Amino acid sequence: MSVAWIGSQPVPLTDAIRNAAKLLASCRCPVFTLDTDVHGTRSTIALATMLGGACDHAKGQVLANEVALFTNHGGMFTTPGEARRRSSLIILVGEIPPLHHDLLQAWAASQPDLGDKHSRRWFHIASDETSSSHGKLLRQLKAKPLRGEGLSLEATLALLRARLQGRPALSSLSNIDSFEKALATAQFPVFVFSGSSVETAGLVMLQGLIADLNRKGRTSSVFLPADDDAWGSALASLWMTGFPLRTGFINSLPSYDPVQWDVQRMIDAKEADLHVWVSGRSGQIPPKGEKIALISLSRTEVPTAGAAVTIAVGQAGVDHDGVAYSSRIGTFRAVQAVTPSHLPSVSKVIGQLAGALPGRREFAC
Amino acid sequence: MKALTFSLLALPDERLDLSCLTPAALAGLTDVQIAKLRIGTSRNPALVGDVFRITGKDVNNIVFEGGSSRFDKVGAGLSAGSVRVMGDVGNQAGRRLSGGTLYVDGSAGTHAGSGMINGRLEIKGNAGDYLGGPLAGEITGMEGGLLIVRGKAADYAGDRLRRGTIAIFKGCGDYAGYRMIAGTIVITGRTGAMAGYLMKRGSLLLDRPPENLSPTFMPCGEPDIAFSRLFDRFLMDEKIMDKPLLGPKPGRYGGDTAVSGKGEVLFRQQHR
Repeated sequence: MSVAWIGSQPVPLTDAIRNAAKLLASCRCPVFTLDTDVHGTRSTIALATMLGGACDHAKGQVLANEVALFTNHGGMFTTPGEARRRSSLIILVGEIPPLHHDLLQAWAASQPDLGDKHSRRWFHIASDETSSSHGKLLRQLKAKPLRGEGLSLEATLALLRARLQGRPALSSLSNIDSFEKALATAQFPVFVFSGSSVETAGLVMLQGLIADLNRKGRTSSVFLPADDDAWGSALASLWMTGFPLRTGFINSLPSYDPVQWDVQRMIDAKEADLHVWVSGRSGQIPPKGEKIALISLSRTEVPTAGAAVTIAVGQAGVDHDGVAYSSRIGTFRAVQAVTPSHLPSVSKVIGQLAGALPGRREFAC
Repeated sequence: MKALTFSLLALPDERLDLSCLTPAALAGLTDVQIAKLRIGTSRNPALVGDVFRITGKDVNNIVFEGGSSRFDKVGAGLSAGSVRVMGDVGNQAGRRLSGGTLYVDGSAGTHAGSGMINGRLEIKGNAGDYLGGPLAGEITGMEGGLLIVRGKAADYAGDRLRRGTIAIFKGCGDYAGYRMIAGTIVITGRTGAMAGYLMKRGSLLLDRPPENLSPTFMPCGEPDIAFSRLFDRFLMDEKIMDKPLLGPKPGRYGGDTAVSGKGEVLFRQQHR
């Protein structure tokens, strides 16, 4: 089975690498969209550094929203394990992505064994609209809603913060008395949120609320990323360059700017002239209709439509071993291949690409 | 002496960092030296001479003939003199401007006037998100000066404004005055949702009653205060407006009570 194509023609991997390296060497402004494991992320960033390109994640907008909380404000965070063992009061903020529902259900099935050891109570800070999948989770958790009529999530958070400080506000929230009572007895309330469910402004308000509560007792939050791999890539970028993703390399020096280095914006504005799409995830393809040259490193059995060069790559944890971020433990973990295959890893292909570039340059990975 | 003029030869392929083209940075440089300054941000960065034709001698008076949304950091760090752009500019125009005047004849991108300390920035067209706001990792936004937008501003105008005045003439997007610490924002036209969200102190002055405020803003009646007349006079003296904005007894909301509640939204009553 073929793993490399030039246009739609199957070719040996070495030919595809040579062709892709030629494109990389001759372009003016290469941009990289990635969605891969830690090793793949590190290789891609190292290649972008060599070539003076820009890096972004395939879910760049949601990731930028999550990162903005950390770059623009900060907050108080705890690990999921600490929350499970110590917290008898969990407050969900907005809609939590389905990939974390198992984790929350596991918490619901257990009881805290440290701290106040009461059975766990659940509340949910919500706007007026809730999706059906999230509604089902809330029913399973028996979460009481904290919501105001016609209010957005951001307004609800503001209202809750004002109310908990005894300040006036124009509206009220459902179940607020019951929540205040629960808050008074709980030793370690924990707010659980995701970057995809609340705007950054709402997240800042939430962290302010948590800071207020910490004047009288202990309160924290658990951040569950909208996508574990995306958050892992942001952390890998952080330790390599000092900045999260949406980082560009002018003169090989990193610069973080979530507006300037938004890769999709750069492609749409024709600021970039070569797009390198790096995704080990099945079924992920680059957005259609791009009018610049494309090199596609995808988990695919067919050439990517519109790509000058396509190279099939494996997925960490499926085709080969790897390291990935796990929000369940709040850090990185090793993942073993479930069905090892002949597909090369992203880092191996990127390493070959770097080696095929003309001139001797350092590939820092 | 004729103004130092940069005439655009052709639209650039890449984004340009024009922070090096200010009076202080160009003082003492010859035309040849200026033409060799690097302004491109791609692998093969453009030089000033590749993009502009340079004429004139007066470095305290700089003119860009032609603009582009790829002109980033125009007038960044300007401390004296004047810079005028006959067209659009990109992101971070007038960043950390501490004196002098920057005039943009077209529209500006995001973070115009970011971290301004003093001086005057005037944009004839529209402005992007985070007008006067801080960049990632910074504590405060605009810290002084006067920022005027004759068109519309997008979301988060005046984010973390600490001192100075921002005036927007054709309305703005959501979260105007977001996280304001102090200072004044004047808005005529429609204001988007959640104006003043997380506002600690400072004043948002509107020409009409606000819509979609956070419920943590409390109505405070129509106080008869000297401030509104005083500020109306300031706006007209500075030629920012040609008629009073608030009138004698403006309506008032206090907030954001989720934070300290010491900010205010003053607005012109519709019946006056």
